[in-house]
Amino acid sequence: MLMCRDLAVIASDYIDGELTGRQNLSVKMHLMMCKACRTFIGNLRASTELMQAHSSGHPNEDLLRRIDQQVAEALRTRKSRSGDQE
Amino acid sequence: MPVRDGSEQDLIMLLKAQDDQAFHEAVSTYTPGMLAVARFYLDPSTAEEVVQDCWVTVVDAIGKFEGRSGLKTWLHRIVANRCKNKLRSGKREVATDFSESLEPELAERFNATGRWDVPPRLQFHESADTLMENGALSDCLDKHLSALPETQRSALILYEAHQHKSEDVCNILDVSASNLRVLLHRARQKIFLMVETFQETGEC
Ligand SMILES: [Zn+2]
Repeated sequence: MLMCRDLAVIASDYIDGELTGRQNLSVKMHLMMCKACRTFIGNLRASTELMQAHSSGHPNEDLLRRIDQQVAEALRTRKSRSGDQE
Repeated sequence: MPVRDGSEQDLIMLLKAQDDQAFHEAVSTYTPGMLAVARFYLDPSTAEEVVQDCWVTVVDAIGKFEGRSGLKTWLHRIVANRCKNKLRSGKREVATDFSESLEPELAERFNATGRWDVPPRLQFHESADTLMENGALSDCLDKHLSALPETQRSALILYEAHQHKSEDVCNILDVSASNLRVLLHRARQKIFLMVETFQETGEC
């Protein structure tokens, strides 16, 4: 039988729909009987959604500005090069 | 030329036409994800350097982009390849133990029979959007994200925040599908533990 710990191990796979039909069923059965695991799955799912809502990666403005400048310069070089060929 | 409402196809067209504004738009849209990929391989400052170099490369390479993959995936692959080349001479650190799918801090909350010893204490009742309006929680999340091992952070950012498909993430980060599952699960448990502590104590 699936124990709480086993369920915790495959919780993300359950949330993402990566389990086989049989595994999925045994998780569902366990969840019907176990309030603690229902709370756990609910909270893990909320944490996942929190991550999705969080704008992450956040490079600093300074880096973006530096890249913008370099790209602008590369574009200018490229345009003047193709201008020379014509 | 404004590209605000343009689809990816329009953006690509403008990039191929060497449009300055389109590049500006693309840089701010795609740099976060590219940086996440680079950080999987490299220390933060080298990662920034590589992403900068990649953008300069993209100015020339975009003409050869055929659109078989999405623009984002294409950019992330350029970054990953460049990082791998850079690493060929250096070393690579792998932090996650792929054989263990539970965080130690969570694992010790079960008793010997596999039942909860210390069950989750309360439900995260608020929606993600409401939770994010809490500035302190948002800061706390930032802090914990930056403390994650690079591997877990990149997987989490690419999969959750940038909504890449698993096979793309595996491709970009060069990890197996089953190892990606471990990376994601470990990272999510850390976020779960963080939010739990935050809701109970109000502290990060
Ligand atoms: Zn249970």
